[in-house]
Amino acid sequence: MQVIENLKVKEKLYTEKLENGLTVMIIPKKGIQKKYIIWGTNYGSNDSKFIVPGEKEVTEVPDGVAHYLEHKLFEQENGANSLDVLSSLGVNANAYTTNNHTAYLYECTDKFYEALDEFMDYVQHPYFTDENVEKEKGIIGQEIMMYDDYPEWKVYMNAMNAMYHENPIKIDTAGTIESIAPIDKDILYKCYNTFYNPSNMAMVICGDFEPEEILKEVKKRLIPKNANGEIKRIYPEEPESIVQQKVEQKMEVNTPLYVIGIKDKETGSEEIVKKHIAIEILLNILFGQSSRLYKKLYNDGVIYSSPMLEYEFAKGYAHVLITGQAKNPEIVFEEFINEVKVLKEKGIKESDFTRIKKMIYGSYIKEYDGPQDIARMFLADYFKGINSFDYLEEIDSVNLDYAKQVLDEVFNEDRMVLSVVKN
Amino acid sequence: MEYKVTDIKKGIKLHTINTNKFKTNIIAVFLTMPISRETVTKNAVLSSVLRRGSKTMPTQEQISKELEEMYGASFDCGLDKTGDNHIIKFYLESINDNFLPQSDEKMLKTSIEKLLDIVCNPLVENNGFKKEYVEQEKENIKQIIEGKKDNRAKYAMTRCIEEMYKDKPFGLFKFGYVEDLNDINEENLYDYYKELINECKIDIFVSGEIGEDTNEYLLQNENIKSLNARTPNFNQSTLEEKEIKEPNIIHESMDVTQGKLIIGLDLNLKNDQEKYNALMYNSILGGTANSKLFQNVREKESLAYVASSSYLRYKSNIIINCGIEIKNYEKALNKIKEQLEDMKNGNFTDEDIDNSKKVIISTIKSIDDEQDTEITYFFGQELTGNETNLEEYIQKIEKVKREDIINIANNTNINTIYFLKD
Repeated sequence: MQVIENLKVKEKLYTEKLENGLTVMIIPKKGIQKKYIIWGTNYGSNDSKFIVPGEKEVTEVPDGVAHYLEHKLFEQENGANSLDVLSSLGVNANAYTTNNHTAYLYECTDKFYEALDEFMDYVQHPYFTDENVEKEKGIIGQEIMMYDDYPEWKVYMNAMNAMYHENPIKIDTAGTIESIAPIDKDILYKCYNTFYNPSNMAMVICGDFEPEEILKEVKKRLIPKNANGEIKRIYPEEPESIVQQKVEQKMEVNTPLYVIGIKDKETGSEEIVKKHIAIEILLNILFGQSSRLYKKLYNDGVIYSSPMLEYEFAKGYAHVLITGQAKNPEIVFEEFINEVKVLKEKGIKESDFTRIKKMIYGSYIKEYDGPQDIARMFLADYFKGINSFDYLEEIDSVNLDYAKQVLDEVFNEDRMVLSVVKN
Repeated sequence: MEYKVTDIKKGIKLHTINTNKFKTNIIAVFLTMPISRETVTKNAVLSSVLRRGSKTMPTQEQISKELEEMYGASFDCGLDKTGDNHIIKFYLESINDNFLPQSDEKMLKTSIEKLLDIVCNPLVENNGFKKEYVEQEKENIKQIIEGKKDNRAKYAMTRCIEEMYKDKPFGLFKFGYVEDLNDINEENLYDYYKELINECKIDIFVSGEIGEDTNEYLLQNENIKSLNARTPNFNQSTLEEKEIKEPNIIHESMDVTQGKLIIGLDLNLKNDQEKYNALMYNSILGGTANSKLFQNVREKESLAYVASSSYLRYKSNIIINCGIEIKNYEKALNKIKEQLEDMKNGNFTDEDIDNSKKVIISTIKSIDDEQDTEITYFFGQELTGNETNLEEYIQKIEKVKREDIINIANNTNINTIYFLKD
């Protein structure tokens, strides 16, 4: 096993790529009761067009299959549902689907290995029937409708639609009630066999473990499977331009919700971490709690709380997101555009840069407390080609000149959108 | 982990949790008082005004800059309704000195000083708070109160509890009422603050790697010295007798796609052990993926994605929560009632009991894995006067028997059925 130690946060990562292609990562945490395991596949809602290894034809499946598959993987041939089985061991099990990956997980204090039997068994043994696939349509339908009532989900999806012409990030992870209607067991098996191959998967374990021992236990429970070839994923060509600058939806909300999005280009894995850090620093200089813009908008009564500042990216897309609530989102948008202009003209103040960089450093350290946060972070970063420790390693190398360069490259007015949900 | 409680002065307690599990230290200050219509809105505005500035850090910008310099220490304040108490909470979380690039910094000490400064040493102008801050924060609170509808699921839950506790303290909305904002100004709010800070129950929590000197510099802190000893007034949570009546049925309309069905249950509990029995009852009814609600309403009938229940231990209530298609109201309601009947008749397996014990015990064991959960746990004990340690807690769960759960089921009644539809 390869051991990577980070001296700043004082944690170690043990990692190994097994013969069948599965990557296992272990982060031991001494003295913590909780044990957490997460097993993910590099397959999310964006992957609906692909070429199965060994085939020539392109396969295209309906929107929402990755998420549907996640719901159905718990079904077992003996009629049991693995979620219930895990629950009955007293462990807390769950699963989720994102744009670019699907993950299965559980957390427990006791009975870790009994749960591991069930966990590794169900992820490796799908059992789909016409009946059990059909039954889920009602449940997922309710899940989709639940999201329809979340203004924060609407305002986010509308921002995606304003930024992207073609990229599937603009499509709801769960699909729509219409798109999931034709999903059947054959589609699920096809996607399972393509994407749930060990070479397309990774596992992260965090808790009070001896790395060698837990790795042995995992290996014991793997069924023999050969690594398959590369899955060719087909994403539509995405122009650099946005679709429309502004989008607004009516919904019964008291304070309008807004998302400001800045569409960016995909960045290579050698630079992405550095760029991500620079963007986080810039966003906080522009609109963080100590910023001039925040103070002004707060004092003018335009906003009541600080917005969330993020940079989201995966295969095929990247964008900045500023999410919040404001009396008048239009003013926030205008003032933000103006603030970017001023910062480009006047330059970044050294003192602001140093202070915010310290804050970002602290925020990375804080991510290493809970086994759940650690494991999820390592998994999500892994599928983006990143080792999470890189953020702590690279932060020192982000200097003022580099931040300036990123400011000019990324913060372009003609790639900014405003999405609003209001009464 | 070592937990210690010290009386700093009468009515002011210091709780230290010495642990080396975490990357951060957390300092928390809780101000506790009985919740009442007269003070609920004032407390909401007060907590917001205090975070705007102190005498030494008079603006929010300055507070933010100082926190950023401390490697992004995070400061937050909030309001909680715990039983019949209203609690103003202040938190400051900062990096443990072991993980700082420079080793000579004393982050814990600075954090304690900053937080106490914000709570005890507010910015005052002409015998009142800064007018501008008070006016802005009144507007801010108004937005929060009016915005309670923005999250439909949470709103439905809040509404159900309001209906269950109409004209009672626990039915009060923790951010208060718009019509009560008008009477608040910078002077009367400051007068109220002076009264509060000298009379309310104060609990200070320090969690992290705490050195020998921590107690000492807390006791030497000027802000602490300035506080009086007091005999605080607060409600120790007790078991209340619930009146049995016909269920109250409330239907409300809003632009929702999905209907939110919330059912509030009253539990008549006779002694302390029954609180643990009730926890088990709730777990079997709707606490896990194995529960009757999840299995029957979601998995078997495909009526819902969310189908669960939660136990309000301070008030002996259980709240059932389902998101359903609007036209399925009757069907879902009947299914839920069926589960309640099943519980009364003992239609659940020994396996259900075992599973629930495992789930609850696992939660108890991991309480000290999370810094804020641990603080909440010890503070809960402080408010109930209950000193059950984690091991005793586990024992009380382990000894719950089938007939204890059936007994809870037979002392449980529907108080309110609330439905939010289109």
